[in-house]
Amino acid sequence: MKILVCVKQAPPADAPIKIDQSQQWVSVYGHALPQMGKYDEYAVEQAIIIKEQVPGTTVDAITNGPAEWATVLRRALGMGVDHGIQALTLEGGYASALKTVSCIALAVRARSYDLILTGVMSEDLAQGLVGPMLAETLSFSCVTSCVSLRVDESRNCVYAERDIEGGRRQLVELALPALVTMQSSTNRPRYPSLSNIMRANSQELEVITVESSEDAVSCEKLLRLSSPQKTRSAVFLQGSSKDKARELLSILRKRSVLH
Amino acid sequence: MERSIVVVAEHTQGRLTPVTYEAMACALEIQRIQPARIVTVVVGEDAVEVAQEAIDACDQSVLAVKVPGLDSYNGEAYRWTLSHALCGLGASWICVPGTTQGFDFGPGLAVRLGASCLSNIERVFEQDGQPIFVRNLFNGKISAELSAAAPTLLIVQPGSFRWERHDIKGRSYVEVITVEWAPTHTRLLGFKSLYPVDSALRDALVIVSAGRGIERRENLELIHRVASLFPRSAVAGSRPLCDNQWLPYRLQVGQTGATVAPDLYMACGISGAQQHLAGMRGSKFIVAVNTDPEAAIFHEADVGVVEDLEVFLADLLEESARLTP
Ligand SMILES: Cc1cc2nc3c(=O)[nH]c(=O)nc-3n(C[C@H](O)[C@H](O)[C@H](O)COP(=O)(O)OP(=O)(O)OC[C@H]3O[C@@H](n4cnc5c(N)ncnc54)[C@H](O)[C@@H]3O)c2cc1C
Ligand SMILES: Nc1ncnc2c1ncn2[C@@H]1O[C@H](COP(=O)(O)O)[C@@H](O)[C@H]1O
Repeated sequence: MKILVCVKQAPPADAPIKIDQSQQWVSVYGHALPQMGKYDEYAVEQAIIIKEQVPGTTVDAITNGPAEWATVLRRALGMGVDHGIQALTLEGGYASALKTVSCIALAVRARSYDLILTGVMSEDLAQGLVGPMLAETLSFSCVTSCVSLRVDESRNCVYAERDIEGGRRQLVELALPALVTMQSSTNRPRYPSLSNIMRANSQELEVITVESSEDAVSCEKLLRLSSPQKTRSAVFLQGSSKDKARELLSILRKRSVLH
Repeated sequence: MERSIVVVAEHTQGRLTPVTYEAMACALEIQRIQPARIVTVVVGEDAVEVAQEAIDACDQSVLAVKVPGLDSYNGEAYRWTLSHALCGLGASWICVPGTTQGFDFGPGLAVRLGASCLSNIERVFEQDGQPIFVRNLFNGKISAELSAAAPTLLIVQPGSFRWERHDIKGRSYVEVITVEWAPTHTRLLGFKSLYPVDSALRDALVIVSAGRGIERRENLELIHRVASLFPRSAVAGSRPLCDNQWLPYRLQVGQTGATVAPDLYMACGISGAQQHLAGMRGSKFIVAVNTDPEAAIFHEADVGVVEDLEVFLADLLEESARLTP
């Protein structure tokens, strides 16, 4: 079984960010280190679980981004991925899903994977698009937002559980080759093991450059970034923590939610 | 060919879901900017019956794509039948509700139609006669304005567009086509109902909700103690807490959990991701406690407390005890 996992780098959810001067992207300040997306970690974890269950499985990871994103490939190798592919782009910043998909598709089309895993959404753009669009581009069968996955090689299929609204799950059988996007679950992504980290640091990454065949016209354009509109205008309580506590108690009493 | 704006309806048990109306509201806003015919498309075995509800709601045309045997959602079926049904409609914009279903078939359908795809659309405005689409990035901290060339498939953010019932002026009609479909790659094996939404959440007047910001499991104790200050209260949480197995999934609030609307929702260490907001936005009064003054939860809150929750909740308990005779 040949598996590919798509991973990308993003600042952590609570990193302080501000819009940069170009109004086209953000800069992250403070010490927050960019890391692999949370859902991408679940995808890597799922790939490694399959590798442990199905003999002869190899797992590659790919990232389509600037040179710094090599760190997420090293992280994936540390978790147990066999091989890292870096599809280099010259710059970071906003990337249209269409463009990302066409780059990844060009890089992987000839490699005949049986299964491709992605995160359900990325941490920064949170589009939920790259996985299912890639599947369609490669003519893979596809199911999104899965919390568990089981491969049946003899029947050439995977069984997936999709997490859907209302605390329900949809059970789906998918023919291989398939692309599945992973949602978070109780499967905690493992930490890189020491031996894998040593291997990851000495291992060569495969670096390729792919030119998107997608002309710029068909991609959306990012015009401007700004601060979001507020739905309600929060009153920020002032003073020390204790002052705020007293003030909140008094507000809640006035609203009669507290007696 | 006459251009159109297409809305793909979502329905369950013979009824349109509320998000379908929100997608229709989004289509109406685009129509105001770029006049075109709106066509609502309903797919499924019971498409004709469901289409009637769409007709009763608006004066647009409705296309019922009857697919014998398709009694619940199947992504392969949706992509296949819609790519055929939409061919003749000259669709410039295709609005799809942003549910787990819309995200499942929408992006692939866009590729099949040669359209581009934008997700999480929360607002549309006009600039030089073109619709500009607004969505958020970085977990709600940044808002982005995007322009796109037709055809584009738009995945509409739940809770962002308001549908208003209006008098039906024109004549609307249902066109019915029947499409035979059999699964080739995707077979449905059924549903599991794992987490019946906790009735305590539905009945609670006050919900104290914990997020990943509580950092340690032991801090749940603080959350419980704060909840006990209030009569008819309950404890709930965001998805990561349930993934960690610190709380059972039936106490998860959000898109894939419970929808709640208590008198007071106290969000402690919750960043305010769209999928969480989807479940608690209707609360009557929202208090947020978070160390990050930029956290998106503050955009939805009535009262904001920028503090470490461990310190603040302890102070809240102490002050409450002191003031209570
Ligand atoms: C299809 C789909 C469905 C989903 N459904 C749901 C759902 O139903 N419900 C749900 O909740 N999520 C859902 N999610 C996940 C959602 O996108 C977010 O990942 C999740 O809500 C984040 O939870 P959080 O706010 O607790 O954690 P984070 O986003 O990590 O935020 C933690 C917050 O805590 C703050 N913090 C840190 N330390 C402290 C401290 N000491 N004191 C105070 N504040 C602190 C941080 O500043 C940060 O804002 C879904 C995702 C997808 C893709
Ligand atoms: N530039 C990229 N390189 C590799 N994988 C990506 C890239 N962008 C997105 N992905 C994958 O697609 C998933 C969904 O991303 P998005 O569509 O941006 O929400 C991510 O979780 C990754 O698994």
